Amino acid sequence: MININELEARWLKYKIKSYIPHIVILLSIAIILTIFALFNSKSVINTKEVTKVKNENVQEIQVDTPSVEPIEAIADIDTKKELVLAPTIERTKQKIIQIQPIQKKKIEYTTPNYNTNEKTILAPSLDFMTKLQDNTLPYFDNENENKIEHATQETPVRIKTVHKAAQKKSKPQIEPIKKESSIQIDRQNTHDDINQVIKRFKKNNNPALSLFIAKKYYQLGEYHQSYNYSLMTNEINNDIEASWIIFAKSLVKLNEKSMAVETLKKYIAHSNSHRAKILLDEINSGKFK
Amino acid sequence: MKSSIFRNSRDVFLDIVNAKDYIQLDRVSTIYQSLKNSVKKPLKMILLYGKPGTGKSMFLTKLYHDLSATQDVYMYKTPILDESEFYKTLAQDLFKIKYRGELNFTQFMKVVEEHDVGIVPLVLLDEAQLYSNPLMEKIRLLSDTRKVKFVITLHKTGKEDLIAKEHFQTRIWESIELENASNVELKIYIQKKLMKANCFDSANMFNAKAVNLIYKLTNGNYRDSNKLLYTLFDIYTHYEDKGDTSKMNTNSVSNKIIEMAALHTGLIND
Repeated sequence: MININELEARWLKYKIKSYIPHIVILLSIAIILTIFALFNSKSVINTKEVTKVKNENVQEIQVDTPSVEPIEAIADIDTKKELVLAPTIERTKQKIIQIQPIQKKKIEYTTPNYNTNEKTILAPSLDFMTKLQDNTLPYFDNENENKIEHATQETPVRIKTVHKAAQKKSKPQIEPIKKESSIQIDRQNTHDDINQVIKRFKKNNNPALSLFIAKKYYQLGEYHQSYNYSLMTNEINNDIEASWIIFAKSLVKLNEKSMAVETLKKYIAHSNSHRAKILLDEINSGKFK
Repeated sequence: MKSSIFRNSRDVFLDIVNAKDYIQLDRVSTIYQSLKNSVKKPLKMILLYGKPGTGKSMFLTKLYHDLSATQDVYMYKTPILDESEFYKTLAQDLFKIKYRGELNFTQFMKVVEEHDVGIVPLVLLDEAQLYSNPLMEKIRLLSDTRKVKFVITLHKTGKEDLIAKEHFQTRIWESIELENASNVELKIYIQKKLMKANCFDSANMFNAKAVNLIYKLTNGNYRDSNKLLYTLFDIYTHYEDKGDTSKMNTNSVSNKIIEMAALHTGLIND
């Protein structure tokens, strides 16, 4: 005799048992898929975060660089003390904040140099001599001299603008500072400066220094000295156009016009200098006295 | 009436070996015809073997039923384990000689040689694996006289194969193996069996899905299938008696009922 109720209960138990392996398999698959999905999503988030961080860094770097460059540019112009300050600048935001006080400090260094004319800070170097050679003729013009004086008066103001530019983090405003860097040095016209350069010339016998001394003496109206140093320059190197011109001009000022003309003719024959020809014409026509 | 259909269907699968219940399947019919042909040959012994429930007894019964009208056939469904009783029974059935007291093998051999029966009688021995080895050896010697022909059935196990090899290896004999039904044969078997009993509605309930599940549970074994189907229709009868028709689907046999029947018959465990 079959007990249907008991048999149904047994069947239910049997069905539950038979479904257990399937449920276990499905659950394990679901768990594996979930873990896989979570792992993938995490990796995607990580990559996104990494790219975000990279982009932020890149943006920071792009922002930072303009603030760093002006300091370096000014540091090249100024003393070694300023160069020591530059390495503190890094790529983090915190460091960016630290840059601004550094700039203020730099201004504190630079501003008194121009206002008080301290000699110890702005020591002349050899690099500007080569630049001076290119600017020889305008250097002797009265207009150029006025420009130099005007530039020296404006320098502190321009440094302030540089500082503002550095705060605004823009590049193009840096270039004018570089152009005026030589002008800042040229304003020292005292005899003490010439004596220092003479000392250096005696040590190394550099024609650039002797030419500088000749130009300075010519500018001060000491034509004998300018004649002597330009002659020394020509003896060291007879291909310096500016030295021959100073030599000729000094002779004219010393009332040796004929000698100046002969010297220029010989030099023009030797080098075919355009500037020498102009000076010769001016001497002959009486424009240059 | 639905109730009579389920009851009738249940009774179809009663585990009774009856030649009338023999179901002709293509492969089984071929084997049966082969057995009938072998019986006509001058073979001393024919071995019919297979796993339990593959239809050996049904084959033997069917053979007895078919041949008994034309020749002397003696079938022993239950093994006669006592040797003297075995000889006495054969002497009485084959030669119509009644012995009182003991009859040993030598005496029985004399009786066999003295009697000329004309057509060789056929002795069908079911469950021959139950006979002792000495008795099996004497049966072999009896078959060597060509005065008696034997058809024996054996369960196919390692031991029985060994018996067959040891006792019948050198004799002229034929062996026929019976196997479980395939799922297609099982479907035909179920439906033919039900239709034979005019249970057409029940036969139509067995679609391929239901039969496949039954095949999966019984592995095509005829005896297990009969037991399962009997229980299955018994469950249907119970539901019907209780009036719980909601749990019955008369269009097809539900897997639940099949599995319940399998649980009850022990084919699966809960």
